[in-house]
Amino acid sequence: MSLSGELIAFIGLALVAIVGGVLLITLTKVVHMVIALVFTFLGIAGIYMLLSAEFVAIVQILIYSGAITIVMLFGIMLTKHQENDAPAKGGWGSFSLLAAIAGFAVAVYLGIYNLDIPVQPTALHEENTKQIGIELFSKYVIPFEVMSVLLLVALVGAIVLAKKDDEEGDRS
Amino acid sequence: MIKDLLHSAPSLLNFGIFFGLAVLLLFVVLGFVTYGILSERKIMGFMQMRVGPNQIGGKWGLLQTVADVLKLLIKEDTIPKKADKPLYILAPVIAFAPAFMVLATLPFTDAFQFADIGVGLLYYMAISGISTIGIVTAGWASNNKYSLIGGMRAAAQMISYEIPLVMSLVGIVLITGSLNLNDIVAAQEKVWFIFLQPVAFIVFFIASVAELNRVPFDLPEAESELVAGYHVEYSGFRWAFFMLSEYVYMFAMATLTTVLFLGGWNSIPFLDFIPAAIWFGLKFSAVFYILVWIRVTFPRIRADQLMEFGWKVLLPVALANIFLTALIKELLNLF
Repeated sequence: MSLSGELIAFIGLALVAIVGGVLLITLTKVVHMVIALVFTFLGIAGIYMLLSAEFVAIVQILIYSGAITIVMLFGIMLTKHQENDAPAKGGWGSFSLLAAIAGFAVAVYLGIYNLDIPVQPTALHEENTKQIGIELFSKYVIPFEVMSVLLLVALVGAIVLAKKDDEEGDRS
Repeated sequence: MIKDLLHSAPSLLNFGIFFGLAVLLLFVVLGFVTYGILSERKIMGFMQMRVGPNQIGGKWGLLQTVADVLKLLIKEDTIPKKADKPLYILAPVIAFAPAFMVLATLPFTDAFQFADIGVGLLYYMAISGISTIGIVTAGWASNNKYSLIGGMRAAAQMISYEIPLVMSLVGIVLITGSLNLNDIVAAQEKVWFIFLQPVAFIVFFIASVAELNRVPFDLPEAESELVAGYHVEYSGFRWAFFMLSEYVYMFAMATLTTVLFLGGWNSIPFLDFIPAAIWFGLKFSAVFYILVWIRVTFPRIRADQLMEFGWKVLLPVALANIFLTALIKELLNLF
């Protein structure tokens, strides 16, 4: 594999995503974790962009790094709970965990390294927004609509839960 | 020229050219911000029957902003003792970087544009949402009640007004059949979208003023209630970054309004001997002037009114507009 601009971009974005993920686990303050998560989301969006899946990349930024993170930050800031997580304890448990992770890494490496995916020339990268739209509204209409009903149910449920809380707060 | 560059093989020289162009654009934008602030203060002075800056740099105060920026640069950089230090330092960066990133897809004229991506319109909306995180982070990291309230308000406001902003544009996307900003400009060669989509324009304009956190929607930094909102604790250059990102967004939003509703660089009939760049500049200046005009004219609205207005007025109107546009497009084949 030669060193092309695409490879450099991939390495950079992958590093951002992985460092974000590692920081998400190791940091102790919840707000810091969410900011690390944003970087992971952005890195992943960049990788989508490299794979010329523009639409997915942009939606990833719009929904995940934009909306969901803000909601998480809001939740954290409004519910003044314990700011610091207790650091994880060492011991025999962490050794077995390390062994498990190493085993998993070896298994994945062996599985992926010689994996040969036959490449067929496709036109998926051309106007992929349009293609997604056509697929969504011709082949997958019913799952799509059911999905929207599901989201509506979640929305109504959230409102009902929030309302209940309010009334209890008034009484007490 | 840029199109040839984008299609050529990647090399160090190419990288250098792009880097140079980006730096050039940064300086153009900084120049705009410098004189945009001055013209805003001058217009405000004119509308409030005062003089405005008139001391430094001749009769028109041409060097006033330069002096202000110099003052900011040599100011002491304070970090509160109880602040969340890494986030406090990171927040201005998160707020500013997206402001400059969104400029990449905006087509200023047919020749002067950087990236021509298929989902340019969504790209703008998505990237500008990241700035909100920077503002919330700043509000949180300062460890100050005013800045926290300001950050919360900013998040609530920007998330709520992003929805009508995007929804109002669906009508345009329906007519054009593309999310590409170049295609949108090309579709306005005969009629500008402000005439085809007047309702969308009004919704978009109101929502864009709210996204820019300007008066009458400047609740995040309402100085009479919150001192200065999310950037109370910031000083010197870090504070300048927040101001800068605000004005770069103003530049970007005025450009986007021009591109989407006023026909971009297209000329009006019989006057097409005037170059595209001048047409763009004229329309852009008009939008900028109206933004300043709004700031001078309106009082700030209340937080609960803000939310009600966004969700109960703007969003339904934008949805109705989509519905109507789709009906007209399908049944009457007008567009």
